[in-house]
Amino acid sequence: MTDASLNSVPAAPRSRSLHTVDERTRKRNAAEKRFRVYGVTAILIGIVFLAVLAVSIVRSGMPAFSRMVVEIDFVLTQEQFDEAEAQLMKTSAYQAYFNAALQESLNAAGVSVPFDESAVERILGKTGGILREFYRENPDRLGQPVSFELPASSRVDGYYKGRVTRDTIVDSRFLMKSDLDIVDAMHDAGILKRGFNWTFIQGTDSGVDNPGGAGIGASVIGSFFMMIVVLVLSLPIGVAASIYLEEFAPQNRFTDLIEVNISNLAAVPSIVFGILGLAVFIQFMHLPQSAPLVGGLVLTLMTLPTIIIATRASLKAVPPSIRDAALGVGASRMQAVFHHVLPLAMPGILTGTIIGLAQALGETAPLLLIGMVGYVAREYPDSLVAGFTEANSAMPAQIYTWAARADVGFYEKAWGGIIILLMFLLTMNIIAIILRRRYERRW
Amino acid sequence: MDDMRLTERTVDTNESKITARKVQVYYGDTHAIRDVDVDILDKAVTAFIGPSGCGKSTFLRCINRMNDTISVARVEGEIKLDGEDIYDAKVDPVQLRAKVGMVFQKPNPFPKSIYDNVSYGPKIHGMTRSKAELDEIVEKSLRRAALWDEVKDRLNEPGTGLSGGQQQRLCIARAVATEPEVLLMDEPCSALDPIATAQVEELIDELRSNFSVVIVTHSMQQAARVSQRTAFFHLGYLVEYGETGQIFTNPKDPRTESYITGRIG
Repeated sequence: MTDASLNSVPAAPRSRSLHTVDERTRKRNAAEKRFRVYGVTAILIGIVFLAVLAVSIVRSGMPAFSRMVVEIDFVLTQEQFDEAEAQLMKTSAYQAYFNAALQESLNAAGVSVPFDESAVERILGKTGGILREFYRENPDRLGQPVSFELPASSRVDGYYKGRVTRDTIVDSRFLMKSDLDIVDAMHDAGILKRGFNWTFIQGTDSGVDNPGGAGIGASVIGSFFMMIVVLVLSLPIGVAASIYLEEFAPQNRFTDLIEVNISNLAAVPSIVFGILGLAVFIQFMHLPQSAPLVGGLVLTLMTLPTIIIATRASLKAVPPSIRDAALGVGASRMQAVFHHVLPLAMPGILTGTIIGLAQALGETAPLLLIGMVGYVAREYPDSLVAGFTEANSAMPAQIYTWAARADVGFYEKAWGGIIILLMFLLTMNIIAIILRRRYERRW
Repeated sequence: MDDMRLTERTVDTNESKITARKVQVYYGDTHAIRDVDVDILDKAVTAFIGPSGCGKSTFLRCINRMNDTISVARVEGEIKLDGEDIYDAKVDPVQLRAKVGMVFQKPNPFPKSIYDNVSYGPKIHGMTRSKAELDEIVEKSLRRAALWDEVKDRLNEPGTGLSGGQQQRLCIARAVATEPEVLLMDEPCSALDPIATAQVEELIDELRSNFSVVIVTHSMQQAARVSQRTAFFHLGYLVEYGETGQIFTNPKDPRTESYITGRIG
């Protein structure tokens, strides 16, 4: 009996060896490993999407930065100049000189192809006018060889960028099939080359049938003036509102209501701000349409909630012990805020502001409604005041306009515009990161 | 407990610096302090002891109106500093806090240089006319806080780079730089090691010659070591208040006795 009862007592569990992994631990480790795999997969998917985006933007947008140019050495003597100026059709006289020079350089390269005046005009545009203008402004260059760099028309450009092929081309006043022989000959002779498209960076928007002459410069200036309006208005208003709400306002229903509504405003679709701007700033206050001033005001409304939320978060992050310390030595609440809390919150405030500005810089929808999208920005503003009050476009509005145009030549301009916009945004974000790193204080 | 030492350090004056009558503090619906009557003497150290949550820190923060910064806190009753009601509508809490300095539980130096930490108070109160005067105040305050010799060569370094004990002494220097009349200390040694604690305690004893010091502490040994008067708080009531020696050796209230012998707390 005693033996039996002894045997029925379960053997005391032997303590397990640390060298063998038990079932529970194995399961736990497996779960952890699975979770890691999920995380890495998620990140990889994100990276792939980002890479696809970057590659497609660069591939579609890079052609906008180059264009085909005809480089030709040209000599115009004083006699030729006088002769041309004496004629009734002055520019066509210059055009004739140019055609002769072109024929000569083709012959010199050993390429012979017949061409007429109108073909040159289709390929290069009215070069006579350009030549005349140059020599009238620089009469001292007469008789000397001058190297001209003349952009080829957008169809010719498209021919080398693969937009236009011999099979797809239809004879029109823009380009004939036969012109491509001349173009090929010029390319073989080394007269027609690929060059950097300065017009795209410096130029203004062109008409709907001239994608080659389109530039983003004017709309960069438009965006710049808009951002100044946004910065000057939203930073002080946003920071003042946040400091008041965070440090001074009593806690009651009314401030709760304001708080909730600021969060709601941050989520309001931007087109709503656009229609508000149209109703208030343009229809009621009669501010000029399509002006960066109005655009800036609308974007300020949009940016304010972002700045207020970021500022309040960074004010909250300042430890209360700093406020206690300042109040404890007899500082007033304003002194405590401005001497101690605000400097510590500054990196966060600046980061929030820059991110808000970057958001505003890329915003298109509200500009649609205040007339910035439809406007063709053909000219730079001629003064500082005009920069704010005269109609202009802005970068995202310009991109939208180009993307909506019929001529396929504008397609690459839209992508090129996106590259420039992204470069501005990247720069702003990098500045935000640098500011945060540099002024971050630990305590 | 060394009775001799306790009786040696009797109170030099019997003038009341602060008189509190029927003080009530509410945090929203919670009644945190009930009917506290206390007379705090000038040029003496008064210790507030009691279990956690008994209201001693709350009462301390009433004396320089730091509770004003908590929106739900409400103070009733009467607290007089030199016979003037500090909760009078005419009193600006900023002026009051220049007279009643405070040192907090956790060292909280400003993330600025040591010099700026100490000179901040004198600067905002316009106590000096020249840089030389300010330098003098900074040196004097740091000497009073027994920190001068350790930091005199690195006044421009950040105060946050000091060790915990040094930081707390820096906070004391900052508090005394404005020449307050009363110095409130809310568990100033709770974050310090025994050596730093000893230094701060020594300091408190020296400060007594110029200020009226009120210290909140969890350590009964500390209360016994540094104070002349002790107040025992329990559940929002001031249970017993008297000479430190009497409180620790011959408490009148059974609750005080239970607390100091370790039976409640």
